[in-house]
Amino acid sequence: MDQHDKTCCGLLPASAPLANPYVPFQPENPAQYSAKTGLIRGTLFPCLDLPLLGMVNTEEKPDTLLHQLQALGFAVQELGLYLDTHQNDAEATELFRQYTELYETGMAQYQQSCGPLFQKQAVENGAYTWNSKPWPWEYRANQED
Amino acid sequence: MFVYEKKLQYPVKIAAVNPKLASVIISQYGGPDGELGASLRYLSQRYSMPYPELRGLLTDIGTEELGHLEMIGAIVHQLTRRLSEDQIKADGFAPYFVDHTAGVYPTAASGFPWTAASMQVKGDPIADLTEDLAAEQKARVTYDNILRLSDDPDVNDVIKFLREREIVHFQRFGEALQNLRERLNQKNVYYMNPAFDRS
Repeated sequence: MDQHDKTCCGLLPASAPLANPYVPFQPENPAQYSAKTGLIRGTLFPCLDLPLLGMVNTEEKPDTLLHQLQALGFAVQELGLYLDTHQNDAEATELFRQYTELYETGMAQYQQSCGPLFQKQAVENGAYTWNSKPWPWEYRANQED
Repeated sequence: MFVYEKKLQYPVKIAAVNPKLASVIISQYGGPDGELGASLRYLSQRYSMPYPELRGLLTDIGTEELGHLEMIGAIVHQLTRRLSEDQIKADGFAPYFVDHTAGVYPTAASGFPWTAASMQVKGDPIADLTEDLAAEQKARVTYDNILRLSDDPDVNDVIKFLREREIVHFQRFGEALQNLRERLNQKNVYYMNPAFDRS
C-alpha cells in the first residue's frame, strides 16, 4: 500500500494570513485501519502512520478480552480527537457511535470475567473487588489474559 | 472530574529486566518533553482557551497524555522489578537507584527533577497552540531517540505506539489552529488576544 499517494494529502486554506504556522487539514471521511490494526500502529488513519526508519509493529495483539477492549477504546479515542476538529463529518460521527456501542459491550464482558474497571462497579456478591485483581502496570496483569 | 479506568491504553508487557534502559525511559515520565509536562500543559491551557472545540481538544489530548504517563510508569516499573545486586550497579542506573531505589520518580534522564519551567501556559491561543505543536515534535524526537537506544522488542513495541500518538496530536493541534484562525480578524489575526480582549 502506498501511503504517500495523493489520497494522503491534506487541505490548506486557499488564502491564508502570513506569519502563521499551517498544518493541512485531514480531509473528511479518511481511510481507516481496523481497530485491532490501529491499536498496534498507534493510529486509526493510514495517512498519519509515519514510522521512524521503517520500525513498525506488525503483529496484532492476541485476542483477549483486554486487548479487544483496548483496541475498541483506542478507536473511540482516536475518532474522538478527529471529531474535535471535524465535527461536521457525519460518517465519522456514525462510526464513533458504533465504536462506543461496541466498547460498552466489550466493557461488560471484560468486567464479568476480569474484574471491575471502575471503583463504583467493584462490589460482587457482597464482596469489595476493586483490589482483588492486579493493577494494570504490574507485569502479572498481563497473565490474567 | 477524573475517574480512573483500571486498564492501560495500550498493553505493557516487558519480559526482560533492564535498569539501564529504565534510567533513560524515565525522561518521558518527568523530563522536559515527557508525558507529565504534556498532560499538565494541555489540561492547564484549556482554562483560558476560547471556543468549546479547542477546550475539548485540550481536555481530550491532556487526558490521553495522563494515560501515556501511566504507560511510561509501567515500563519503568517492569524494567526494574526484582533487581539483583549486580543489576543495581549496572552502568547508568546507580545514580537513580541511590535516590529512588526502584520507585518511579518524575525526573529527566539527566537527573534534573520534573519542573513546570519546561512547559508554558501563555494565555493566548495562538501562542499556546504553537507551543503544543512544538511540544509534540519534541516528544516525538525523544521517542525516536529511545528507539535508537533500545533493542528490547517489548519496550519498542510500546514506544512505537507512543511515538505515533505524538504525530496524530500534532495534526490535531495544527487543525485546531486553523479552526481558531477562521474566527479571528482575517486582516490581522494578531489584532487582539481572544482569550483576554473583549471583541
